Amino acid sequence: MKSQLSGFALGLLTCAAVLLVVSVADAALHDLLAQNPFGAPRAQQAAEPEASGLIGWLLAKQSEFYRQMSATIRAAKSDGSAVWTLLFISFAYGIFHAAGPGHGKAVIASYLVANRETARRGIALSFASALMQSLVAILIVGISAWILNATAKTMCKAEGAIEIASYALIALFGLRLVWVKGGAFIRALQVAQPVPAMAGVPHDHDHGHDADDHHGHDHDHHHGHSHARHEHGHGHVHDEHCGHSHGPAPSELAGPGGWRRGFAAILAVGIRPCSGAILVLVFALAQGLFWAGIAATLLMGLGTAITVASIAVVAVSAKDIAQRLSARRDGGGALVMRGIEFGAAGLVLLFGVGLLFGYIAAERTTCF
Amino acid sequence: MGMRILLGLLLAAGLSLAAGPARAHPHVWITATSELLYAADGTITGVRHAWTFDDMFSAYAVQGLESKTKGAYTREELTPLAQTNVESLKEYAYFTFAKADGKKERFQEPVDYFLDYKDTVLTLHFTLPLKNPVKPRQLVLEVFDRSFFIDFQMAKDNPVKLVGAPAGCQMKLERPNDGTASAQKLNEQTFLNGENSNFGMMFANKIMVDCP
Repeated sequence: MKSQLSGFALGLLTCAAVLLVVSVADAALHDLLAQNPFGAPRAQQAAEPEASGLIGWLLAKQSEFYRQMSATIRAAKSDGSAVWTLLFISFAYGIFHAAGPGHGKAVIASYLVANRETARRGIALSFASALMQSLVAILIVGISAWILNATAKTMCKAEGAIEIASYALIALFGLRLVWVKGGAFIRALQVAQPVPAMAGVPHDHDHGHDADDHHGHDHDHHHGHSHARHEHGHGHVHDEHCGHSHGPAPSELAGPGGWRRGFAAILAVGIRPCSGAILVLVFALAQGLFWAGIAATLLMGLGTAITVASIAVVAVSAKDIAQRLSARRDGGGALVMRGIEFGAAGLVLLFGVGLLFGYIAAERTTCF
Repeated sequence: MGMRILLGLLLAAGLSLAAGPARAHPHVWITATSELLYAADGTITGVRHAWTFDDMFSAYAVQGLESKTKGAYTREELTPLAQTNVESLKEYAYFTFAKADGKKERFQEPVDYFLDYKDTVLTLHFTLPLKNPVKPRQLVLEVFDRSFFIDFQMAKDNPVKLVGAPAGCQMKLERPNDGTASAQKLNEQTFLNGENSNFGMMFANKIMVDCP
């Protein structure tokens, strides 16, 4: 009993550690990205009063790219080749920009962990949500500014409404995940307590029906069979997606179940356009080069997607490591993983609620 | 015991969540000039700002506005926009923070505000009267956006003017990132310490006026 208890504690600890990794991953990654190219030692950096720290460098880069955009769009009016510069700048800005808040990196990462998704699906989700984000920005400006010739004030109100909708969606999405994953976690708890580790039967019976995902109704039949999940016993990972087991084939990603499963995440994250894209689009429109603005927005989205996808891969890898570690534990494995999923689901909910009520200050909509 | 560590980790995760979004970056750039307004008896009555927006934001702000001449906007045509501007700025305390001998001073709602549009950029002019005019030995005026959505830079030439100040008053300007200001030590240590609640402060422009 004692060993089981400590196993439980370890499980919870692992869970917390993974949560921590997920939530800091983005920040850390951006710090890495922002690494001083000259590799100056930290102490020296700290001594410099100027914005030479990693964050300062990152901010400077972003601002630099962003500020070059208006000049480049202007130049593109007379010089077609400036468009290539514009595309490059936009792409670079997108990569750096994903460091900014409100881009749903954390939501996507948490979602991936909660739903036991693969890295490949994580990448697909990142790209899809970034693409949607770009398209929403283009649609907003295209319809309101180009077709209706609305004022900035009107556009801003529309943006604000979309923003609230997006946060509400994230919160709802998190609530649903918490509901489903909380149930699975409680069942795993119930199983873990009385049954002392049937380690002799390496049988991953976690049928992972994930019925909600595949068929659109809202219960997660994890059955709690939980016969000491033991990935090693199988050539294929049985719990990923019931039945189709050999990792997601490309067709599966795009298939009806595949996209529908991630669609909620894509929608929740992607529906909110970024202020930067809106500004660039309106500016391009004012210069009579709306198409250049559209191209820039799409490239920004591509850059953002790359950053978000890297974070998604980090999150999924962290979870996989946790899974491997916990699988060695008798009986505790399933519990640990359900706990991690439950925690990740909770994070999505926290994010949504935090953004909605302004506890987490997101990128402000430009309304003044 | 394990639970305590767990709680600690969760707390850390929560904190990092809260801290992350403070890493905002600017979308709007403002080049500012400010005038400190003095009454005849040497009390400071208010601040008059002229904020020039970057061309991207300027294009955004005038989008959809009616104008007689295409690409040009008169002060009258920009009146509704100026109105919106100053009304919205209230929420952010006009990005202007004054301390008279260490005591925080408040501003009234802006007066004499208007926008002009020149060389594709907008400039917002407005006066912020102090709620209580003061006559301090030292006045510190900071102009910055706490969330760093807006990057404020004081103009290169004549950034600050003292209008009608008593003789002997000395003005000093600390710009962000020029190495003179101690408040602007920007390095990762600052962030690791979790002291980024006032993130934008590191980008503050600090105007100090000492009068005898």
